[in-house]
Amino acid sequence: MTAAPRISLALAAIIATASGPALAQTEVNILAFAPGFAWADMFGPSGTEKTDKLRAFEEAEGITVNMEFADEETARQKVLLDLVNETGTYDLVMLGSDGAVQTFSYAGYLEPLDDYLGTAKNYFDADQVYPQFLEANTVDGKLWALPYYSFGAGVIYRKDLFDKYGIDEFPGTVAELEEVLRTIKAGLEADGMDNVHTLTMRGAPGEEPSLDLSGFVYADAGFPAWFEGGPTTPEEIKAKKAKPIFNSEFRGGFERFVEWSKEFGPPGIATHTWVDMMNLYGQGQAVVLMPSAINGFAALGGTQDENVRDHTAFAPSPVGASGKPVQSFWTFSVGVSAQSANKEAAYKTLAFLTGEQAMQGFAESIGWPYSTFPSITRGEVLTAKWPAELLDQVEASYEQANPHYFPYIPELSAFMERIGTAASEAISGEKSVEQALNDLQSWAEERMERAGYYE
Amino acid sequence: MLWRLWFIAPMVVALATVVLFPTVFLFWMSTQHWLVTDPDQFYVGAENFTRLLSAKDFWQSLRVTVAYLVLGTAIMLVIGLGLALSFANTKSGTLLRVMIVMPLIIPPVVAGFTWRFLLNGEIGFIGAFLLPAVGFEANLLADPKGALFSVVIADVWSRTPFMFLILLAALQGIPRDLYEAARVDGAGPVAQFIRITLPMLRGPLIVALLFRIIDAINTFELIYVMTKGGPGRATQVLSIFGWRTAFQELDFGQAASLGVVMLAITLVGALIMFRRFLRPAGQDA
Repeated sequence: MTAAPRISLALAAIIATASGPALAQTEVNILAFAPGFAWADMFGPSGTEKTDKLRAFEEAEGITVNMEFADEETARQKVLLDLVNETGTYDLVMLGSDGAVQTFSYAGYLEPLDDYLGTAKNYFDADQVYPQFLEANTVDGKLWALPYYSFGAGVIYRKDLFDKYGIDEFPGTVAELEEVLRTIKAGLEADGMDNVHTLTMRGAPGEEPSLDLSGFVYADAGFPAWFEGGPTTPEEIKAKKAKPIFNSEFRGGFERFVEWSKEFGPPGIATHTWVDMMNLYGQGQAVVLMPSAINGFAALGGTQDENVRDHTAFAPSPVGASGKPVQSFWTFSVGVSAQSANKEAAYKTLAFLTGEQAMQGFAESIGWPYSTFPSITRGEVLTAKWPAELLDQVEASYEQANPHYFPYIPELSAFMERIGTAASEAISGEKSVEQALNDLQSWAEERMERAGYYE
Repeated sequence: MLWRLWFIAPMVVALATVVLFPTVFLFWMSTQHWLVTDPDQFYVGAENFTRLLSAKDFWQSLRVTVAYLVLGTAIMLVIGLGLALSFANTKSGTLLRVMIVMPLIIPPVVAGFTWRFLLNGEIGFIGAFLLPAVGFEANLLADPKGALFSVVIADVWSRTPFMFLILLAALQGIPRDLYEAARVDGAGPVAQFIRITLPMLRGPLIVALLFRIIDAINTFELIYVMTKGGPGRATQVLSIFGWRTAFQELDFGQAASLGVVMLAITLVGALIMFRRFLRPAGQDA
């Protein structure tokens, strides 16, 4: 080697050393579930890669994004333990608007995001999002998480089988739907279609059924009928000293959910999760899937059944006795840990991962007609894939949604767990509706007393 | 020679770290008001225990645990002993032995998923095709009694090989002379079994039962993946109840008190069996 290259190499080394600190990046650690589904455009189908899109963000912002995926249950438990132990290992944590956002925000484990919203508008502009998805993540007047994959209520059904049994259009009310379900059931039985079930919903023990079941309760009572008078915040419950009403006004919607599951659902419904709903519908073994229509759209993506693929239709969620529609509203959201050492970088990453560009990627890779941004719903990808009427109905379901159709209290996770399990008990016949609700009522009274609501 | 104790110090430290500390921490947690939903954490004495013992769910979970334990152990014992007796006097059938032992090396999570899919009433080979073909239409996993029976069957399938191995080893260790002497005295196969085999199996049998009881009380993953304690709470054993209390209802204090109670139940059971059946001769009270 001659002298010139040596000098060049030495200079390069000196420059590299000198510029070392400038290259140092802030690390943001994230914990989430569903690799290959969530942020497939950022972390690839395996969830372990970094795409050019993500690298471009890292370079532009000087942030290294470390994603850790786990299965949903494991991820939830890891989030819980990380937050409770205040380790700050994860800067961004996966949450859900059906318990985690409420519980962790009231407990002080999350960072309120309102003050950050203006800091990364180029990635996430809150004014451009359907307001209901932000409202779902708003607790006590503050925003605690940003929504990613989210959905509203609706019905997915087999139009060909409706036509076959002389039903021209999807009924608009719960009472009418019950008659229709009865007609379809009779038709299926008469035709010997034993392996096709009239309705698929979810009745597994745990929190899962509670999202849909609470929607039935809301439609029946016309308000979140968990506590006397329907308060939805701790302050309201305390002010009114509102007692639980699980064995009174809550009962109508609960009973309807249980009876429909038993009468029209598959025999295994007391153990079914959203995966079972999806599989049954995708295999052509269910005529109606509700009220979380998202699981029907998920089924369409993988079905081998031509009838399911060609004859599936969407309808708005029917209205209950109160005149309000059956709800099912959820956001897979992500929040910033209060223990994060890099909150600003964490928020910037969060804004990027939930922003318009990310949702565009989600629409391109998954293609479901749900998005948190109207611009994506009405964008090229989704309008090319779905009829305008369907997209109108999906948007209408957001407008009709009340994200607070269940109370936003710190104890929500525990209540969701208990309510779902009570439904599973009643559907399986382990307990009568009355026994299940009386037990739920006793537990709720004790739990609320213990939490000091009635002092 | 106090310096010799230093040689066991690393082991003592290791044990203290992985056994003593978590146990003491568990006891401490069980005396705390520790709800994730409530930022205030404070000492409540035995309140978690009194609430636990007055909760319907606890007693129901205890009943399910006992049913799971008794039913599973009884079936396991009969099958394990039967298989061990079949193989005790022969050196052939190696492939068959391997097949019998194979479920033992399959992790309970995998076993649980396998049985869950097999018994599924809509798409499972057993639940959707085999059972309906013989006229049994019920969906086992969605029926409270059927679900309990299902998890017991899966547990028996998974854990019987352990019972089989212990009993087979014990049977092969019984001196042949005893049987020859008995035959000379005119004892038939039944008399030989009752007078020789069973008494000689007493020790190993108790050890196997002891392991089995501890294993059954702490069973979690098999039931979790098969039924998650459902439908409803039909298969909610104590460990699933504890998991629900801690991770779903976010009541760490209450869950810790359940952990202490489970520890006490296991210890008492083990001590009774040890003192009653395994105490060396001459140490009887």
